[in-house]
Amino acid sequence: MVPPLLRLSLVFVVLGVTGLRVLPAADIDFSHEIVPILRKHCGECHTGSASQGDFSLNTRKQLLDGGAEGPAVVLDDVDASTLLQRISSTDPDQQMPPEGPRLAPDEISTLRRWILADLPWEAGFSFAPTSYDPPLLLRRPELPAAVDGREHPIDRIIDNYFVAAGRSLPQPLDDGHFVRRVSLDLTGLLPEPETLQAFLSNRSTSKRSEYISELIANETAYAEHWLSFWNDLLRNDYDGTGFITGGRKQISAWLYKSLITNKPYDQFARELLAPTEESTGFADGIRWRGTVSAGQTVEIQFAQSVGQSFLGINLKCASCHDSFVDRWKLEDAYGLAAIYAESPQEIHRCDKPLGKIAEAKWMFPELGQIDPQAARPERLRQLASLMTHPDNGRFARTIVNRLWHRLMGRGIVHPLDAMETAPWNEDLLDYLASDFVDHGYDLKHTLNLIATSQAYQSQSQIISEEHAEADFQYLGPHAKRLTAEQFVDALWQITGEAPTNIDAPVSRGPVLDSTQQLPLVGNWVWSSSDGSAAVPLAGESLTIAKTVSLAALPTRATAMITCDNSYALYVNQRRVSQGENWEQPQVVDLLPYLRAGDNRFLIVARNGGDAPNPAGLFFAARWQMPDGSQQSLGSDREWEWTSALPQAIDNGNAVTFTVIPSDWQPVALVANPNVWMPRVGPAIQKAWQEASGLPLPMVRASLRKSDFLQRTLGRPNRDQIVSVRPDLLSTLEAIDLNNAQMLADLLQSGAERITAAQQGDPKRIIDWLYAYALSRRPTESERSLAMESMGNRAEVLEVEDLMWAILMQPEFMIVR
Amino acid sequence: MSLQTNDFENPQQARRHFLKQMAAASAATWSMGQPLLANQVQPTATADACILLWMGGGMAAPDTFDPKRYVPFEVGVPVKEIESTFPAIDTAVDSIQFTKGLENLASVMDRGTLIRSHVLPDLGSILHSRHQYHWHTGYVPPQTVACPHVGAWMAKVLGPINPVMPPFITIGQRLEGVGESEELKAFTTAGFFGSEFGPMVLPYPADAAKSVQPPSSMKENRFGNRYRLFKQLVDANPNRELMSDYQQESLLRSMDNAHRLLSSKDRQAFNIEAEPKESYDIYNNSRFGQGCLLARRLVESGARFVEVTTEYVPFLNWDTHANGHETLVRMKQEIDGPIAQLIRDLESRKLLDRTLVIVASEFSRDMIMEGKPGSNAADQTTDPVEKLAEMKHYGQHRHFTGGSCVLMFGGGMQKGRLYGASSPVRPFVAIEDPVSVTDLHATVFTAMGISPKTTFEIEGRPFYPTEDGNGKPVMDIFA
Repeated sequence: MVPPLLRLSLVFVVLGVTGLRVLPAADIDFSHEIVPILRKHCGECHTGSASQGDFSLNTRKQLLDGGAEGPAVVLDDVDASTLLQRISSTDPDQQMPPEGPRLAPDEISTLRRWILADLPWEAGFSFAPTSYDPPLLLRRPELPAAVDGREHPIDRIIDNYFVAAGRSLPQPLDDGHFVRRVSLDLTGLLPEPETLQAFLSNRSTSKRSEYISELIANETAYAEHWLSFWNDLLRNDYDGTGFITGGRKQISAWLYKSLITNKPYDQFARELLAPTEESTGFADGIRWRGTVSAGQTVEIQFAQSVGQSFLGINLKCASCHDSFVDRWKLEDAYGLAAIYAESPQEIHRCDKPLGKIAEAKWMFPELGQIDPQAARPERLRQLASLMTHPDNGRFARTIVNRLWHRLMGRGIVHPLDAMETAPWNEDLLDYLASDFVDHGYDLKHTLNLIATSQAYQSQSQIISEEHAEADFQYLGPHAKRLTAEQFVDALWQITGEAPTNIDAPVSRGPVLDSTQQLPLVGNWVWSSSDGSAAVPLAGESLTIAKTVSLAALPTRATAMITCDNSYALYVNQRRVSQGENWEQPQVVDLLPYLRAGDNRFLIVARNGGDAPNPAGLFFAARWQMPDGSQQSLGSDREWEWTSALPQAIDNGNAVTFTVIPSDWQPVALVANPNVWMPRVGPAIQKAWQEASGLPLPMVRASLRKSDFLQRTLGRPNRDQIVSVRPDLLSTLEAIDLNNAQMLADLLQSGAERITAAQQGDPKRIIDWLYAYALSRRPTESERSLAMESMGNRAEVLEVEDLMWAILMQPEFMIVR
Repeated sequence: MSLQTNDFENPQQARRHFLKQMAAASAATWSMGQPLLANQVQPTATADACILLWMGGGMAAPDTFDPKRYVPFEVGVPVKEIESTFPAIDTAVDSIQFTKGLENLASVMDRGTLIRSHVLPDLGSILHSRHQYHWHTGYVPPQTVACPHVGAWMAKVLGPINPVMPPFITIGQRLEGVGESEELKAFTTAGFFGSEFGPMVLPYPADAAKSVQPPSSMKENRFGNRYRLFKQLVDANPNRELMSDYQQESLLRSMDNAHRLLSSKDRQAFNIEAEPKESYDIYNNSRFGQGCLLARRLVESGARFVEVTTEYVPFLNWDTHANGHETLVRMKQEIDGPIAQLIRDLESRKLLDRTLVIVASEFSRDMIMEGKPGSNAADQTTDPVEKLAEMKHYGQHRHFTGGSCVLMFGGGMQKGRLYGASSPVRPFVAIEDPVSVTDLHATVFTAMGISPKTTFEIEGRPFYPTEDGNGKPVMDIFA
C-alpha cells in the first residue's frame, strides 16, 4: 500500500468542472453562519450601497478598514473590536443595531469566534450586489456600419467589436467543415457523402444559405435533434426517478409536436406555465414518495424550474434562504411557488417554518403582477402572460443566448443559467433577442440568422486551456463535443444499424394533411381456436399468411403490427420485425422487402401464458404506388392460418417451409377485441398515423431511453435541469469506447454492410468513411496508413477497426 | 498469490513501483484528484483505501449483529413476542455477541469496531433507493444539484492510489433491468463532479475482467494494432495543430489512460479467475463473495474506493417483506465467509491497517414496527399476521430506522470495540451514543484524510461531503 505522503507528489492538472472550485475549510462556515447574521442585523445600513457612519461591511477589507470611528475589528484583540462592543452594548446611544431586535447571545458568540479565527471570508464574496443587473426592457440597438461589405446584422456588430479590440477576424470556414458543422448543429446528423459531394460541386454563391434553409425545413430531423436540448432543459425523459411511484409525467408528445410545428416560443412557454394535461409534466416536477425538505416541494421545484429554464435565474439558493450570491430572496422563490400552489405555502428558511404565508407574486412587477386572490388556473395564466410579455427582455435573452451557445459553443452570457452575468456584447444579445421577439418568437428564424452569419461560418478558435471566464474575450466560435445523441446517431448513420423501435411516446414525422390520411384497416385475428366459447391455449403457435400482388414496386410502404403475445413478420421469406409487447405496436418499413408481382406476407404468432388466454394479431399496411395512389392491406378473414411453422434459415433472418402445409384455412376475427382495444387502441391509431408519414427516417437516439452508450457519452439523468453537457471525455468513458461490447457489435455489423456495399475495395471504403465521418477526403498519408491496415482486399475485421480508429479521432468527436 | 501482491510486498517497493508508473504516465495520467489547497486543513489519514460492503435492502440488526430475545419458530407464537429469529453466538470479543450464521465474522470481531447505534432518518415513507441515496451521498433526495457518491468524493479529493486504476469502483449492483434502477442510478454517480470521478460499475464480479479487456471478439494483438492505427491517424491528421485545443488534448489523454489500463498488468486485478484456487473457493459462494475477492484484488492494486453490494433488488435479498428468517439464513451464508476472509487476507497482506472496511445498510428491520416510534410510514409487510402460522411469517418484515448496526474494520478503527447500544426492549432504538449518517460519514472521511467541511462550490452554493459540512467524526472509535 502506498504511504500517504505519496499523495503530495500527485499534483497534476485536474480536468475541472466548470463552476466548481475548492474553498478553504475552516471551523467557521462563513456562508451559512456569518452572512445571515450580518445581513439580518447590519445589512440594512452597512451593506450594498448603504454605508452609514461611513462604514460598510461589503468586503473583508472594508470591514477591517472600518468607518468614521476607526477600525471595526481588531484581529489580535478581539474584545477591543468596536463591532463586538456595539452589538453587545445596551446603551441606547451606542448599541447596534440602534433599533429592532438585539443580536442573540449565540449570534454574538459566533461573530466573536469568527473574529478569533482571523475573520475567514469567502474568496470573492461581497455583500454588494456585484452581479450585473440586466435591464428588463430590450433595446433595439442601431446596427453599426458594415465592415468590408459584410452586411449581416450579426457580422456588423461582431466585426465592429473586432475593429474596436484591434484584433483580426477568425478565418472563414471551408465548405466541408461548414456542411458538417451546420448539419450537426441544426439537425444533429452528419451530412451524407452524396449531400457533401453535391454541396462541394455546387457553384452557387447562395448555396450556404440554401443549405441552411433546407436543414431547417426538415421538420422531423430538426425536431428529433432539438428534442434532446429541450428534454434536458425541461427535464423530460422516458424513464427516470419519480416515474416508479407515479410522481412524474412526461411531456414528450406535446414537446415533439411543438418542435415539429415550430410552435412560437412565447406560446410554447405559455403552454408549459399554464399547462394542459399533456404539458403539465414540466410544471409538476418530480414528486418523491415520503417527506421532502421544504426547499424541494413540488411548489418550490416549480419556482426553481421556471426561474432556470425560462429566465436563466438560479432560485435554488433562494429556495432555502435569501441568496448570498445574487439578488434573489426567499420571498421571490416562494412568490413563484405560491402561484402554482394549490394550498397556502408557509415560508421556510433552511427547512424551518417562519410562520409566514407566501403571497403569489413574481419578480418583475414592472410588467404587472399576479392577483394573489385569483384561482390557481388564472394565476398560472397571468404568470404565463407576464413571462411572455413583449417587454420581458429577460425571457427572450435567455433563450437566444441558449441557441447562440448551441451553435457557437459558448453563450454571450455565460454560464447560461446565470443571466445576471454581464454579456460580452450587450448589443449582440439585445439585437438577437429583439429580433427574435419581432419575428414572433420564431426559434428557427433565430437559428437561421445565426447560421447565416460569417461569424458562425468562421473557424473555431483554439483554446489552449480552460479559459478564465472572468476575462473572456470573443475570438470566434468554440468547438463543441458531439453530444451522446449526435455520436450515436452518427454511428447509426455510418453503420446502418439504427434500431427500429422508439421509446418516446410520440407520433413521428410531420403532421399530415387530410389527403395523406387513409382510414385504418385491420382486425384482431387468430386461428379458429378463438370461438365464442373457446379461448386459445397457452403457447399456441401458428402461421398466418396472405399473398398480395403488386402491379409495380411501390414508392413507399409501411406497416404497423402488434400481437398478443409475440410475433415475427416475414415478407417474401425475409424477416422484417418481431415483437413481444402487444401494448406497443411497431411501425416498420416494408419497402426493402417488396417486389413487383406476388408478395407473400407471413406472420408467425404465438400465444403466451400458462393457461388458456385470449390471443390476437393486428396488422395493417399501406403503400403508395408510382402513380401516387394509396393502397392498404389489413388483417382480415382473407388471411389464412396453419399450425405448421416455417423453419428459420440464414441465421434466422429468413424462413422457409420444408414441407408446404396443406391445411391452410381462413383466420377467425377475434370474438372480443375489447380485451385489447381499450389499452392499445390509441397506440394503434398513433402507429397507423405514423406509418402514413413514411418513409420513416432513421430512428434517432433522442427517441430512445438512455442506454449504456448514451450514458457513457454524457446523456444526463434528467432529475435536474441540464443546460450544458460535459465537454470533456473522461477516462471511464474512454474505456467504454475502447471495449464496450455494444459498440463493438455495432461496428462489426456496420463493417459487414460497408465492406459488401463497397465490394471490399479498400480505397473506396476509406474514402467513403472519411467523407461520411469527417466530411472530407483523406490526405495521402492518411489514406496510405489506412491502406496499410487493410491490404489489397478489405476484410470485415479491418474495416471494423479502421472505422473505430476514425470514430475515435478528435476530429470526429469534436465539431469544429 | 497474485502478481500484484508480489509486486507490493512491502510499502517501499510498492511506492517505487507507483513512482515509476507515474513517471511513465507523465502528464497523461488518470485524473489525480484535486490538489489540496495549502490553507485547506485536512485531517491526517488513518486509511488509504476504503471498501464499503453494502447490505442493500435493510439488514435486520436483531437477526445479525445485535441479538435480542430469540424465539424459535412455532405455529401460534404471537409475532410481537419475537425479537430475534436466530440464537446468539459468542464472538472473539467477550462483550460482543452476534447471531447464529455469522460464526466466521464472529471470529474476526477482535479486528473491528461494531456500532450498534446507527440511526437513519425516517423519510415518511420507505423507498429503499431514496434512503440509499441518502446513505451514499449524505444528502436526502431530491436535491437541487446532483450529489456525488461518497466514492466520488474520494476520487475527487484523493484520486486513485495507483494512477492507472479507476479510483471509484462499485461491484455487484445492476443498474439495468432491476426495480428502482433509475433511482439507483441517481446516486451511483459523481454528480456535479462530472463523470471523470464517477464509478466504474461492475455488476458481475466474474465478468469484471472483461470490462478492462478488449472486446471479447478481439485478440490482443488486434487490439494493439487498432490503437496504433488510431494514433497514427491522429498524427497524420492535416489539422493536427487544432489538437492543441484543450478539448482535444483531454480527449487524447483519456484515450491514452484507457488504453494504458486496458493493456496494463494491473488489469489482472480485475480477473478473479487468476486467484489461486484455495483462496478463490472461500470467496466463491455467491456474487457477493466473488465481489469481496475482487475488492481485495483491486485495493491491493491501488484502487481508492470500492463498494461491494449484496445487490438491492426490491423484495429480494435483505429486503425481506416475508419469509425473512429463511432468506437471512442464505444472506448470512453469503456474507459470513467472504467478509471474514477479506479481513484476514487484508491483515496477512499488511493492508488492513490502512484499509477501512465498512459493513452497512440503509436501515434495520423489525418484526412489528415500521419506521420508528411515532413514524407515519405505512406498514409494508406483505403477510401481516398476529401469530405465526407458517414459516413465511417468521422474520423481520418491517423497515426500522430507529437503530441499526455498522461494522468497521481496519483503517485506524479500534479493534474489538463496541460502540453505542440499542434499547434492550422493543422498540430497538439507539439509546446510547447515536451515530447519524452525517456523523458516520464524517468518521469515514476523516479516516480517509478528508475534512467533513471540505468545500466545493457549485452554482454559487458551498457543498460539503457531509450535509452542510456538519458531520462530526466519532473520534472515540479511532485507535
